[in-house]
Amino acid sequence: MLKILLRKYITGALLMFCLVFPVTASAGLPLDTVKGYSDKVLEILRDPALKPESAKQLRKDKLRAISEKMFDFTELSKRTLAQNWKNLNPAQQKEFVNLFKTLLGDTYADKILAYTDEKIVFNKEVSLTEKTVEVQSTVIRKTAEVPINYRVILKDGVWRVYDVVVEGVSLTNNYRTQFREILSNKPPESLLETLRKKVGKSEPGSKT
Amino acid sequence: MKTAQIMLVASLLLLSLVSVCPAALPAEESAPPPEAAVQTPGIPVPGNDENTTLKVQEKTSGDAEKDEVKPPVAETGAESVAESVDSEETAAEEGPHIPDPFAPTNRMMFEVNDRLYFWVLKPVTQAYARIPEDFRIVFSNIYDNLKAPGRMLNNLMQLRLKGAGNELLRFVINSFVGVGGMGDAARDAFGIKKQDADFGQTLGHYGLDHGFYLVWPILGPSSLRDTVGRVGDYFMHPLTYVHHEDLSTTASVGIAVHETVNDASFKIGDYETFKEAAIDPYIAMRDAFVQNRKKKVQESMQQ
Repeated sequence: MLKILLRKYITGALLMFCLVFPVTASAGLPLDTVKGYSDKVLEILRDPALKPESAKQLRKDKLRAISEKMFDFTELSKRTLAQNWKNLNPAQQKEFVNLFKTLLGDTYADKILAYTDEKIVFNKEVSLTEKTVEVQSTVIRKTAEVPINYRVILKDGVWRVYDVVVEGVSLTNNYRTQFREILSNKPPESLLETLRKKVGKSEPGSKT
Repeated sequence: MKTAQIMLVASLLLLSLVSVCPAALPAEESAPPPEAAVQTPGIPVPGNDENTTLKVQEKTSGDAEKDEVKPPVAETGAESVAESVDSEETAAEEGPHIPDPFAPTNRMMFEVNDRLYFWVLKPVTQAYARIPEDFRIVFSNIYDNLKAPGRMLNNLMQLRLKGAGNELLRFVINSFVGVGGMGDAARDAFGIKKQDADFGQTLGHYGLDHGFYLVWPILGPSSLRDTVGRVGDYFMHPLTYVHHEDLSTTASVGIAVHETVNDASFKIGDYETFKEAAIDPYIAMRDAFVQNRKKKVQESMQQ
């Protein structure tokens, strides 16, 4: 009798486990996901083989490959343009996502490359909506602590970053204000032109 | 010391004059709402979705009304689809706004500060940064420790008692154990963390708005509220109360300059990155300022 009961409990528990686990396993925890990418980036930055100036391009390529997986650039672009997103036709939207990605990659990759042994602590995750979570981290610099929060969205079972908030300043909000200024009196094409110029300028031989 | 006080009084007077003529304010303030009202980013393929929702609507609504009903139905249909695809909180995510009635002057000041950075602060800081980092960290700790009383008072005014207590403890520990704040013994040995607080934040805590955006020469982005905040913080700084005979004006200006350069020596390159990433650096800076200050005020509400 007891044996049967026990078996029932075990099978029940197993069933529950099977029901619950696949969902969490495939999606992973947002914090672990972001931390995983962050660790990978640190690994590249600390790799002595990639340290010399000659390996700069290789290092950049490796970082770009990670950012491609880590960020949802389409979602990021959509949220940045907000109501203006639908004023762009699909081709323009596609170009915008690519240009924006390049701009962010060029400027912030350079910044990351100038990295000096800063310590990153991942504190906690706070859920924003059903599908979005904020992963909170602190970068410990020599004389200050900088809170950096990653906002991630769950799509197709994967958590990807759609916004980065540094000291309370949201990247998408900051660009939205700037883009809105341009789009308020100019067509989307001129926004793309501005971005093309900007990206083209910072592309060859990174400025000091 | 006296000239510094005169300058502050003068700037306050200027501010009160400026605040008398808020003619441009209403126009600026009324600008944001329509944007917020329109909101909801669309989806990449609006054509298809509008059609499908239309078909559904057509079946339910009467034939006679079809033509008249069409446009509004199409709109609401597209909107609800957009809402379900995109997350709902985009409207809430809209960043804070600040009126900028003096935009031309502010923009000019921004340019002046930009030049000052590249022509003066950056070269000076680069030369200064040859001093070993450990020494610069000591200076940074000393200057930071001098701001502890101000942080304590502001924490107190915001009724963040734990923060106020921590800052008091930090000031005592770091001043004595850390010998005038040279080290951060409170953090390193006692694990007492800094609880940032300033007077502009305190004013915000009690519901005071920014008023409008202001860019000061050298000091950079600020607002009417935060300028008053700065003056308040000045009067909460211990060096303000050192007697004139003990600390000459030249000396206190020298200290302020050294503090600025010392702080900047840890941030060489930050401004350059910011500027390179921005499409319109002036707008980017203004927005970053408002977002950051909003967060500070929100933080003051917690605990």
